[in-house]
Parts: sequence; structure tokens; C-alpha cells
Amino acid sequence: MVRGDTTGPTVPTVQVRRRVRATAEQIFDLWTKPDLMVRWMSPYPGAVDCKASCDLRPGGAFSLVMSSEQSSREVSGTYVEVDRPRKLVFTWIGPLTNNVNTLVTVELHPRGDETDLVLTHERLPTPAIVEGHTRGWANILDHLADAASKDF
Amino acid sequence: MTEIEARKEAASRSARLDAVFAALADPTRRAIIERLSRSEARVTEVAEPFNMSLNAVSKHIRVLEASGVVERHRKGRDHILSINTRSLDEVDGWIERTRRYWEQRLDAMERLLRELKKDHKLGRKDRRHGSR
Repeated sequence: MVRGDTTGPTVPTVQVRRRVRATAEQIFDLWTKPDLMVRWMSPYPGAVDCKASCDLRPGGAFSLVMSSEQSSREVSGTYVEVDRPRKLVFTWIGPLTNNVNTLVTVELHPRGDETDLVLTHERLPTPAIVEGHTRGWANILDHLADAASKDF
Repeated sequence: MTEIEARKEAASRSARLDAVFAALADPTRRAIIERLSRSEARVTEVAEPFNMSLNAVSKHIRVLEASGVVERHRKGRDHILSINTRSLDEVDGWIERTRRYWEQRLDAMERLLRELKKDHKLGRKDRRHGSR
């Protein structure tokens, strides 16, 4: 079952899909305008201050610094592809990734008044992103789960 | 655990995870893992279905061993390969943490969208004198 999937440039991938009540333009701006980024991107409820900056062009950098009285954390990266309002691809490095470089792709597909947001987060950047990766990977893990339950 | 120890532990976990991800980035190596997830096997058995030399397959096996995904033990004269499921649990953990992270961020994004829409409905007159 997995054999067919193993020929692609697959890496372990996390994919999150969501239908959002907003236009693709509105969503794209939330991801790329610093004054909007600071209002939702910080995962630290205790952070009293959140600063964002971005140079929105391929090769341009962005950063999000979240500080509280005790500590400061930063998420940063470089834009790889900027195609408003359809697609945004950027590298991502921060506490979640153990300060290892990763690749995030945000795709926006208009559906009438709503928009389907598809976010793909890859631990290892690959040049090609092929639909169905997550399933191939999930299958491998399923096999392993079976193997593990046999062992113990 | 002191903070320095905790950081060292996080760094070595991260390094292990990187090795596992690098090992998994290759289709031949993933096929080897898939084979071994069904049962442990001799090196020659693992190599058999591949259209490449035993030497080439052995190189992939060594990468998998170095990453900790595959373990080797001897049974008589045979080298037996098996999967170390614990190393893949860490990959599972990363996937789970990352998914949760983005689900929560997208929740926050949708909350902000609702807030912005409400602001918008208040009308331009209010916004001109607005608090922001």
C-alpha cells in the first residue's frame, strides 16, 4: 500500500485544512501585515508585547518577537513564494521547530463567500509538494503502530 | 532538571529527530522501514525487492541505523534488522505538536476575523473616533 507512495519526494508533513468565513485577500493580509500578525500569531497568552516585521517579497525576511516580563521568544523566516491572495510559502524557525528550519505553505482557495485554507508544514524543505503525502506517511505510521502492538 | 540540562535534553532530542527525518527523506529508506514494520528480517531479505546492489541497499541501512530508526542484532551468522519504534514515536510527537500548534493559531485567526468584522459593522463614523 505504501510502496506506490514511496517514489515521491515525500517527507513527514503536517497538513491542516480549514474553511474560513472570509475572502482570500482578507486572510492573506492577516498572514502578512505586521499590525494584524501580532493580533493572532503569538501562541503565548502571557506575552505582553508582540512585534512583527516583514519584507514581503521572495527572499525577504519576517520576524515575530513575543516578550513577557520574564522572557522573549522569536519566530522568524524568509519568504519563498508570495502570490497574493493564493499562496504564501515561507521558511519557519522558532521554539516549535526546536530552532530548526522548516517550510510552511499556506494556500487559499476561494469557495463563494468562504475560503479553504490549506496549511502544510514540512520539517525538511523539498522543492516539490505533492498532494497525498500526508496519507503515505500516515500509512507508514499505521504499519509501525501495528508492528509495535505486536511487539509488546 | 536544571534549565541547562533541560536545554541539552531538548537539543539532543532535536538532533535525534533531525537524523530520523533525514533518514525518512529517501523513498528507498522508507520502503525499507515499511518492510521491517511487517517483521524483522535479514539484510539480504530486505535488499531483495530493490533493483539495486546489496552494497547500495547496505548504505541506506547504515543511514537508518545511524538515525536510530533501525537496529541490528546477530542471530548465529545472520544479521537481523528490526525497527526501533521509539525513534518513530518522536516523529509522531513532532507531528502531533505541530498540528496542535496550527489548529490553535487558526482558531485565534478566526477569532480576530470575527472581531474585525464586528468593528467594521460599527461603521466608519465610530472608527474615526475609535480607540485604536
